[in-house]
Amino acid sequence: MNEQEMIDLINNALAEEFELEPDDMTAEANLYEDLGLDSLDAVDMVVVLEQAFGFKIREDQAVREIRTLGDIYRFVAGKLQDQAEN
Amino acid sequence: MRETASQPYKAKTVTGLSLGALLMTMTAYPLMIGWTLLGILLFPLLFAGWYYFTGWPTAKIVRHFIWLYGRGWLLLMRPFVRFRFDGKDVEGRNWQEPAIFVVNHCSFFDTYCMGLLPVFDIAFAVRSWPFKMWWYRRFMLLARYLNVEDDSWEDISAKGRKVLDAGGNLLFFPEGHRSRDGKLQRFYNGAFRMAVESGRPVVPLCLTGTGELLPPERWWMQPTHITMRVLAPVDPAGFEGDDTVRSLRIEVKKRMSEALAEGDR
Repeated sequence: MNEQEMIDLINNALAEEFELEPDDMTAEANLYEDLGLDSLDAVDMVVVLEQAFGFKIREDQAVREIRTLGDIYRFVAGKLQDQAEN
Repeated sequence: MRETASQPYKAKTVTGLSLGALLMTMTAYPLMIGWTLLGILLFPLLFAGWYYFTGWPTAKIVRHFIWLYGRGWLLLMRPFVRFRFDGKDVEGRNWQEPAIFVVNHCSFFDTYCMGLLPVFDIAFAVRSWPFKMWWYRRFMLLARYLNVEDDSWEDISAKGRKVLDAGGNLLFFPEGHRSRDGKLQRFYNGAFRMAVESGRPVVPLCLTGTGELLPPERWWMQPTHITMRVLAPVDPAGFEGDDTVRSLRIEVKKRMSEALAEGDR
């Protein structure tokens, strides 16, 4: 999976789950201020990413630091790289 | 697949303050405050009596009082609001069976309208801000209401399962907050995840008219008609696969959206 495919997968999964407009989904978009997500969505976001990529991240502290879509892309890219190396 | 209805529901809004609205506002608020204070003052005595005669657990007694408080509010509003409950004989609904109610949200008074339901043993799942209203906080804690904003999902799930296993019901506002534009907003997953985890049915409740009575960002009340329509229960067992929660959520929202649009015509 290349970087663009990963980004598309993330965007599609989040857009479906949270009824987001694809045009709003830029790397700089803040999940809370720009995309209208809130604390109640945190659990669902983790579940969506786990289902999309088949890894477990609910215990991962780095998830709590995510603020923008770009943060998610970097976080997932790191996870995929870890998986490939192990 | 995006969640859209063919004819999306939009609650009616009222902009001008009529004489009827002024009369209602000047009468209903003092009555409500008086009713609330009376309830707070009499609660300890009534609680002791209820406990003595029924032996029910504290949470169940408090939920009964909250329901009675809602029934009292319905009576106070009756000179200005015509209430209708459409759902006593809904196919497949056994009111004795624990369920997860989900209701659309247009007004602060939506919670009071739950007095229309023929069951009283209901724990509400709410955000953290209602817990900050000191005059309600104590009762919400005693009734074991779920704080879906501050608690972890594990805690919410465990507390919710406890209520359901004891024969009670849960009630969620899946939109999370009151609609600002009268339209049905996106649904959060909590209620549906709870249904999948507990195996209990989701019972959709469609409330119309409360957005005219008192929408967000308006302080005065408007005389109106309020209808609560109960839809057929949705069994989570009918949904399978990785996206069970999402599929259930989409199906329930579709049914509510259609029913609200239908009731609006």
